[in-house]
Amino acid sequence: MNTLDIDKRTWAEPYKIKMVELLRMTTRKEREEAIQEAGYNTFLTRSKDVYIDLLTDSGTGAMSDRQWAGLMLGDEAYAGSENFYHLEAVIREYYGYKHLVPTHQGRGAENLMSQIMIKAGDHVPGNMYFTTTRLHQELAGGAFVDVIVDEAHDPESTFQFKGNVDITKLDRLVKEVGAKRVPYVSLEGNVNMAGGQPFSMANLKDLHAYCRKHGIPIMLDATRTIENAWFIREREDGYAKKSVREILREICDLTDGCTMSAKKDALVNIGGFFACNDEALYRQAQNLVVVYEGLHTYGGLAGRDMEAMAQGIREAVMEEHQAARIGQVHYLGEKLADAGIPIVLPIGSHAIFIDAKRFLPHIDQDDYPAQALAAELYIESGIRTMERGNVSAGRDPKTGMNRRPPLELVRLTIPRRVYTQAHMDVVADSVIDVYKRRDTIRGLKMVYEPEYLRFFQARFTPLT
Amino acid sequence: MKTIIEPFKIKMVEPIQLTTPQQREDLISAAHYNPFLLSAEDVIIDLLTDSGTSAMSADAWAAMMRGDESYAGARSWYRFRDTVKDIFGFEQIIPTHQGRAAEHILFSIMVQPDSIVPNNTHFDTTRANIEFCGGRALDIPCAEADDLDSDYPFKGNIDLVALEKIVAEEGPDRIPLIMVTVTNNSGGGQPVSMANIREISRIAKRAGIPFYIDACRFAENAHFIKLREEGYKNTPTIDIAREMFNYADGCTMSAKKDAFANIGGFLCTNDASLAQQERNLLILTEGFPTYGGLAGRDLDAIAVGLREILDENYLDYRLISTRYVVQHLREAGIPVVAPAGGHAVYLDAKRFLPHIEPVQYPGQSLAVELYREAGIRGVEIGSVMFGVDPHSGEERAARLELVRLAIPRRVYTQSHMDYVLEGINLVWERRDDIRGMRILRAPKFLRHFTAEFDWI
Repeated sequence: MNTLDIDKRTWAEPYKIKMVELLRMTTRKEREEAIQEAGYNTFLTRSKDVYIDLLTDSGTGAMSDRQWAGLMLGDEAYAGSENFYHLEAVIREYYGYKHLVPTHQGRGAENLMSQIMIKAGDHVPGNMYFTTTRLHQELAGGAFVDVIVDEAHDPESTFQFKGNVDITKLDRLVKEVGAKRVPYVSLEGNVNMAGGQPFSMANLKDLHAYCRKHGIPIMLDATRTIENAWFIREREDGYAKKSVREILREICDLTDGCTMSAKKDALVNIGGFFACNDEALYRQAQNLVVVYEGLHTYGGLAGRDMEAMAQGIREAVMEEHQAARIGQVHYLGEKLADAGIPIVLPIGSHAIFIDAKRFLPHIDQDDYPAQALAAELYIESGIRTMERGNVSAGRDPKTGMNRRPPLELVRLTIPRRVYTQAHMDVVADSVIDVYKRRDTIRGLKMVYEPEYLRFFQARFTPLT
Repeated sequence: MKTIIEPFKIKMVEPIQLTTPQQREDLISAAHYNPFLLSAEDVIIDLLTDSGTSAMSADAWAAMMRGDESYAGARSWYRFRDTVKDIFGFEQIIPTHQGRAAEHILFSIMVQPDSIVPNNTHFDTTRANIEFCGGRALDIPCAEADDLDSDYPFKGNIDLVALEKIVAEEGPDRIPLIMVTVTNNSGGGQPVSMANIREISRIAKRAGIPFYIDACRFAENAHFIKLREEGYKNTPTIDIAREMFNYADGCTMSAKKDAFANIGGFLCTNDASLAQQERNLLILTEGFPTYGGLAGRDLDAIAVGLREILDENYLDYRLISTRYVVQHLREAGIPVVAPAGGHAVYLDAKRFLPHIEPVQYPGQSLAVELYREAGIRGVEIGSVMFGVDPHSGEERAARLELVRLAIPRRVYTQSHMDYVLEGINLVWERRDDIRGMRILRAPKFLRHFTAEFDWI
């Protein structure tokens, strides 16, 4: 039996449980009160009122005993901590970038990179936006330009590499504004907003050739690139025999640097980094990191957290880890698909994305069907999910109107190594129950809207 | 019993790697004569900072195991928030990954390009953050602070006459906030009296200017008030702390100091609409408002640390063990800032090395020599740290040339301190042979962290 074949039913976890965290059961009435108090925004509910927390896979993973042991090896010296040098060596080994600047989390790295690389009036092409990434680009004076393949915007397309960059779209932009106004191409692995969809190595090679010709660097959003490497291994010709580790390295070698939220792939609760090969860029990042984050050998992280990250990267590239990780997500996804629930296909690596437009066709997008569905799932069974649609996309800075993105999704994000198969069964049953009574669900009205990243703190009331 | 002992015993140790003088010579040269660039494992006694370098307690480690890592609304957040609210008293509490992030958010909103922010003495990141926003960081310490030998009990006080003058001249349009740093780190770790805080508050209120406390070492400051200021002898230190914050409109805090944490900070205010703006920025650069870029376990560790730091037996031990080092240095005739502060010993490099000009960085020379002699790592607080005018970019002599030997909380023993004293004495004996330094390469902001040096 080949346990690495994720088409098989046996994706059994390559670990056993060493420490547990107790869950609290709530009644439907308690949940109705809790979601009302939270303004129908799952971000504003309390974790104590949540049964199964699928809000995010960011920082919510279970660390291994070795990572916990690493916490105890924290060298908390302000400068030149041993843990920094260890992490630097691990990143050089697995990602291959020469220079490392740690940050307290991914958005810290995005902030540095955007401020250093983007000038006012620049255009930053990327394979679909991500909320914080785009905002950093805009605040640095740049404009995000979506150059992902069209399939990515179609939740029903089963194209295997919906994270690919459409080089024709990129070329159109470069011809229009000139390569000088394109500071870099922002390339995300396992594109989150598209449903956790990977790019192919063939596409990256084409992109690399194109960018070299035009002198444009490729900056990777490495957050879930190890999971992307797993899909390349599973789906792309010529990669079945390669290790995830080799594929990761090949991806990084075709790019010039990265920002990383280590709270995803790297299995830690806190941490991120900026890495690059260019010495001058590194110097600038080193100088700026002290203003926002911390000295360049700790970047706002405790030493222990750098140690846990180094160990987490080693565990993340293990095939058996990815097989179980992605196997579990696919188990849930297939269960929902089999029940006729509209979800984004193919199933990604970190989450199941329910297509709220098809789930709730009677709710107009400006009445926030995905937000309403997330609230309803919480009321049904205490599952906490996240809206990834019209609320997350925000307003167009020029028109001031809702962006009404093609994808109106609810994300059920699976934390790494935290929940069991039985938990996944509860989730599937709850979604199916809500689906059965979908006609009774109403839209929402936004009653408080923050200036930036409104989805985090916005408040709603149900439409009557 | 007169002997003050540590009100704790050791539960976990971290081995120290010893080095030879020749090894240290090679290591400091490879680090371009900047102690910040040394590897920590090459340092014997690390007095670079008391920030994030403390030993946590068994209780704090246990709390770390209870960390709730949920992204939003975690239990750890509520435990953290309730503790901060109880001690600091402010309505709005915003966690950040460390103190400088709290400063950055506060100043990004309040400081305009022509703003002036008065303080007793701004610390390095505070100053840099204000200057980064285009404002002017104005230091107005009391006159007593300039006499490094005087035993005046509250040398951290702000100069109230100077404060009234600047407030009258510039008004609330140009002064977005008044700050006071407790204790005054750049000025020798000296406390600010309650009377001074009360007066600052009065001046600020009258002019309609918000008053903020840079609260990093609030517990040490509160305990100095208890020991030195009339009328506080019988007041519990925690109540003194509460009274300090009661006079203020908000505070910034690095939990890496007086909360025993290895990482973390927060920003407080009573102004709900300001807090909303701050949270919008927080989400951009730090994290969601219920974790602010910290792991849940770190929020829990801070909550425990804030309780422990206000234990008066601990604070007695802390202040007395710092005074122990200062007293021995004074007895040996070595120039040091008096009286002893809370968290650090400040050698006066101007008098230690009178033959070296400020622009040849006597503090840097002395810090390098302490490392060469004994593997002790301290930090220059003088013309390297504060010697560049942010507007003209020109080099200027700083007010003081100090070397700070910051003492991590609960980490080193009296024997370690005796070793440090011996090391300083050996450098003192050969002080006439020590040369000045020059800068080979330095960045624009916060240059002391990464600048490279060589001997003249």
